Amino acid sequence: MTAPYLKPLPQISEENRPFWDGLSAREFRGPRCRSCGQFGWVPYPACRNCFSTDIEWVPLSGRGVIYSYSIVHRGPAAFAGDVPYVVVMVELDEQPQPMIVLGQLDDCPLDQVRVGLPVSVTFHDIPGEDVTLYRFSPSAPVGSTGGG
Amino acid sequence: MSTTRRAAVVGVYTTEQGKRLGRTKVSLELEAIKGALADAGLAHTDVDGLSPLLAEPWSKTHMYWAEQLGERPITYIGTGQGEGAVAKAAAAISAGTCNVALAWVANAGGGNAPGSKAVPTAAPRLPDFHWEIQGAYMTPLYALWAQRYMHEFGASSEDLAQVAVIHRDHAVLNPDSVMGRKGPVTIEDVVNSRMVADPLHLLDCSIENDGGYALVLAAEDIAKDCRKTPVWVLGGAEATATDVYQTFNNPWFPEEGKSVRRCTDMAFDIAGVSRSEIDVANLYDCFTITMLRNLEEMGFCKIGEGAEYVREGHTRLGGSMPCNTDGGLLSNSHNGNPSGMNVIEVVRQLRGECGERQVADARIGLALGQGGSVHGLASTVVLAHD
Repeated sequence: MTAPYLKPLPQISEENRPFWDGLSAREFRGPRCRSCGQFGWVPYPACRNCFSTDIEWVPLSGRGVIYSYSIVHRGPAAFAGDVPYVVVMVELDEQPQPMIVLGQLDDCPLDQVRVGLPVSVTFHDIPGEDVTLYRFSPSAPVGSTGGG
Repeated sequence: MSTTRRAAVVGVYTTEQGKRLGRTKVSLELEAIKGALADAGLAHTDVDGLSPLLAEPWSKTHMYWAEQLGERPITYIGTGQGEGAVAKAAAAISAGTCNVALAWVANAGGGNAPGSKAVPTAAPRLPDFHWEIQGAYMTPLYALWAQRYMHEFGASSEDLAQVAVIHRDHAVLNPDSVMGRKGPVTIEDVVNSRMVADPLHLLDCSIENDGGYALVLAAEDIAKDCRKTPVWVLGGAEATATDVYQTFNNPWFPEEGKSVRRCTDMAFDIAGVSRSEIDVANLYDCFTITMLRNLEEMGFCKIGEGAEYVREGHTRLGGSMPCNTDGGLLSNSHNGNPSGMNVIEVVRQLRGECGERQVADARIGLALGQGGSVHGLASTVVLAHD
């Protein structure tokens, strides 16, 4: 028996449903403006570059590099049992407008987390909920040099 | 009525600040409002402008307090951070849409710290791409900023820690501060304090406590008959560019700056004052990194040189521009929306009321508020006495 998931989950709306449906289908999608070609994260109903509302959801590589990170030693409420955990900002590979996505990093010794580390999206179905969340892992296995 | 009449801060008041005061929010608000009006020598019936610094939507907070103050029409309905609220209330007074404005806030038991919320019994649903879904809260979000800053500019934990040391030294001289009674701290104390979210240690973070405060602004003709020396609002502005902790764009440290730069440039332009004329400043220091970035964005040093500027001693009492002389958010008080505490400390410095921490002959002061984001929402005000 799995313990219930007690961490916050997203309210899924008509506007953001394609993103969350994408995660469920193992696809990390991002909004791209058909008018000017720019990506934007987090999603907004109109393009933040040209203000067009002609936005399409396109599959993204799900790959990027760590732009910044924090090893969290004191977590809020439901995250308290997870410490230490790694919150990352990942700059996705897609251009021209870099998208910086906030998430958590798994499978990486704490002493190997660094700015610039290549990472990829992973998909996590939440038991008992109609939601799939994304997380990140190193794109190639990372070994520990001790500590961690 | 002249459209160019000046506006001044004429009354300030801070309640007791501390962990769990056992008071209700409204009792702290009432004490603060009564206290600030008494400091000004004005009555509640003089008030015709309201700027609660944490307000409910649809002017609900203003309507509650309009009734509480005697069901007289309030003709200025404002809000904002302390600095922006003061700037806008002063503009309203100068435009003639109100004569006496109140700005205030209180906190009783609320907070941003990770321990401030209980574990829910079912997964809560939050809007779209909320940071809490990813296990982030205020400290990790500022830690991400600090980590990237350290990566780009080679700053160290010790560079950040010196801010906490200086602000604690100032708090020790402030008998009303929450942390001053605990005595000074060293750089070693800061970098050896418990890690909260790497690279931010416990002593890199602001405190969180109960308490309230209020400010009263008045038009020139009223201000000159008030109890204390008027502290004139020379200029102020606010700016916002990014969504609430949701959008982070590369570059994070652009040469041209972001919201803090914009509102500060505007405030100085409106005030007709140059940066070198500032005698004392209180700048929103929710984390040590924030203070370094404030000094850079506000143009007191170049981007990446905040730590060097602090190391040179400019921000210490006795330095070229003593900062956060009350101890700041790091060691004086963080009470829900502490931005206005910065304005109050500057007012007290300009009045010469600061005792052991008084900056001699302080005539022009500066305050910065920011928050709701990582430097994405900000406001600046320049104040002076005649």
